[in-house]
Amino acid sequence: MDGYQYNWDVVWQSLPELRQGLIITLQVSIVGMALAVVFGLLCAIGRLSQYGYLRKISIVIIDFSRSIPLFVLLFWVYYGLSLKFSINLTAFQAGAIALGITGGAYMAEVFRGGINAVDFGQREAALAIGLTQAKAFNLVVFPQAIRIIIPQAVNVYVGLLKGATIVSVIGVADMIYVAQYVSLNSFTPFEMYSAVGVAFIALTVSIAGLAYLLEMRLNRGRSRG
Amino acid sequence: MNTTLLQLKNVGKRFGDHVVLSEINLEIAKGEVVCVIGPSGSGKSTLLRCINFIAPPEEGEVIFEGRSWKRFHSALNFIANRKYEAQLPKLRAEIGMVFQHFNVFPHMSAIENVMLGLTKVRGKNRNEAREIAERSLRQVGLGDKLDQYPEKLSGGQKQRVAIARALALNPKVMLFDEVTSALDPELVTGILDEMRRLASDGMTMVVVTHEMNFAFQVATRIVFMDAGRIVTIGTPDEIRNTTEPRARAFLSSILG
Amino acid sequence: MASEQPFFDFAPIWQAKSLLIEGFGIAMFSAIAGIFFAILLGLVVAMMRLSRYRVLRAIAFIYTQLFRGVPLYVLVLWIYFGLVFAVGIDIPRIPSGIIALALLNSGYLSETFRSGILAVDKGQREAGEALGLRPWQVNRFIVLPQAGRIVVPPTGNQFVDAIKDSAILSIIGVPELMKIAQEQANMYYRPFEFYTVAGLLYLVAVILVSKGISRLERRLARFSREKIEASSDADKTVSEVGG
Repeated sequence: MDGYQYNWDVVWQSLPELRQGLIITLQVSIVGMALAVVFGLLCAIGRLSQYGYLRKISIVIIDFSRSIPLFVLLFWVYYGLSLKFSINLTAFQAGAIALGITGGAYMAEVFRGGINAVDFGQREAALAIGLTQAKAFNLVVFPQAIRIIIPQAVNVYVGLLKGATIVSVIGVADMIYVAQYVSLNSFTPFEMYSAVGVAFIALTVSIAGLAYLLEMRLNRGRSRG
Repeated sequence: MNTTLLQLKNVGKRFGDHVVLSEINLEIAKGEVVCVIGPSGSGKSTLLRCINFIAPPEEGEVIFEGRSWKRFHSALNFIANRKYEAQLPKLRAEIGMVFQHFNVFPHMSAIENVMLGLTKVRGKNRNEAREIAERSLRQVGLGDKLDQYPEKLSGGQKQRVAIARALALNPKVMLFDEVTSALDPELVTGILDEMRRLASDGMTMVVVTHEMNFAFQVATRIVFMDAGRIVTIGTPDEIRNTTEPRARAFLSSILG
Repeated sequence: MASEQPFFDFAPIWQAKSLLIEGFGIAMFSAIAGIFFAILLGLVVAMMRLSRYRVLRAIAFIYTQLFRGVPLYVLVLWIYFGLVFAVGIDIPRIPSGIIALALLNSGYLSETFRSGILAVDKGQREAGEALGLRPWQVNRFIVLPQAGRIVVPPTGNQFVDAIKDSAILSIIGVPELMKIAQEQANMYYRPFEFYTVAGLLYLVAVILVSKGISRLERRLARFSREKIEASSDADKTVSEVGG
């Protein structure tokens, strides 16, 4: 279809702002991830607890957090919660919290899966030499679980990174926000969104590559005896 | 009579609705080697795990060195249960256990495997622990493999690490759970010889095994189990000539 | 003014209930259509990934990296706003949304299908070929049915994700549940109530779909397990054809 003049200059001109937006995206996703790790760890501990009622509550919390769309959760936190309980959250904070909750549900399963993957006999042997439950976990089970947990945690992070694009809707000045207002003024949505898309793909591929290297290093000389 | 070191009184264990052990009564004197034999699923491995409370029995008690260990069941005994649970590591430090699938810690070298109990359970400092661990590993013939990681060791070597790990804590009793079943045939004799050496050094041992020759040669008493119960106990000669039908059937199918 | 109101004001929810249900329907429709096309696309791409020709494999690889790396939001905006300028085709709202969902999920599904096909024991294919079946027959009657069983759970999960992702379509104006909830929340000034209800509706959808997938899984598993139990211990390589 001739007649459309691709205007890639706009992209080059907006690079500084796009870079700023990228930084904000990274910030909100990293904070969200940190919250997710904490929330996920708590849920995982509850999920693996010996107390039935604690397990059940944890399962409910995890399932709820996993089933609600991030977008709905975001609005619920930013508009709903703050209005109902008169808490003043910035858009960034609301975004990080929503990411933390959703990510936390996935991290809970990642923690649980990693811990369960460690052979049951390892725990038996650790207890048999007289270690307490806590020491058995810290010194024997968890070090082995971490090898499985880290690559999957990176996957969760990538998911959060992509999910974080939503926060532009409540006003966080991330890459998409920048792309939106630039394309509005210069009629170049195709170029701008393509650029943002490429940026994300590059980001995702690099992180995946790093995770692969990390996995290789973790597995070096340490496979199961 | 020798002093009784370990006694199981009316021990019972179930997993959910499935009863694995019932009415287990057994007295073991110091220096005895008790071999437990029986068909698969008879509860032999679970019996061992009840002794050091890795699988706490629902019923009965375990009396070790004069002290009774039992688990309380109603929710009212919540506090009592928490208290005895906190004491369990002390019990387990006095009882050594070697597993069928070795369970050596893959993220630590051989010597670190042995040192773990010494530093974290006995509270020794690293130098002392290292000395003791080294000695322990030399005794099982692994003096040249101290810093190797388990993935580089053969099955027999891993099992030796496991034995050294247990022995380093100077236990009063050693539990062996079919420790040669997962080994290649040519490595089995090596481990059995280690166990013979331990027995002749006077270690009290409870050995679950399928190695009948070993059992009849080394045991002071043999326990035959079936379907979660002890069917008959006796010296090797008594068992060899037993008239108990299930034991008879089992022995003839194994020994021919 | 605020002190008179109940904690959870049901009245506006009740008033808007038919709108909310309609929105729910559109959300589900978009998700189902999106996954449907995603499955078709995913299958094609998976086949390409497994093909003998390096060019096809390379194209398929790029496809998966592309659509697994791009966020749905960006894809949606690109299709709805961007393509109009560049290619001149004006794709309306709902189709834009469905296309975006289809493309994105096909990236993940192609990987799922590829793993599923590879997971079928090599001996199955060998046995089929030994019988004299031609390659397409081996695929149709032996490999794909078994791969199908394996991929049901992850595909189900992808469907659940599509249901959740459909909320993003609200941004381009598709009148699905999230958009309706937004509009009503603004109209009645009750964001907490409306977003809570929206969340619960999605939750219900997700739970129902997940349960359905588990049921399906169990019914399919019956086929391989029955045959395994029926055959004796001597016959270790079971998992028969068909089912």
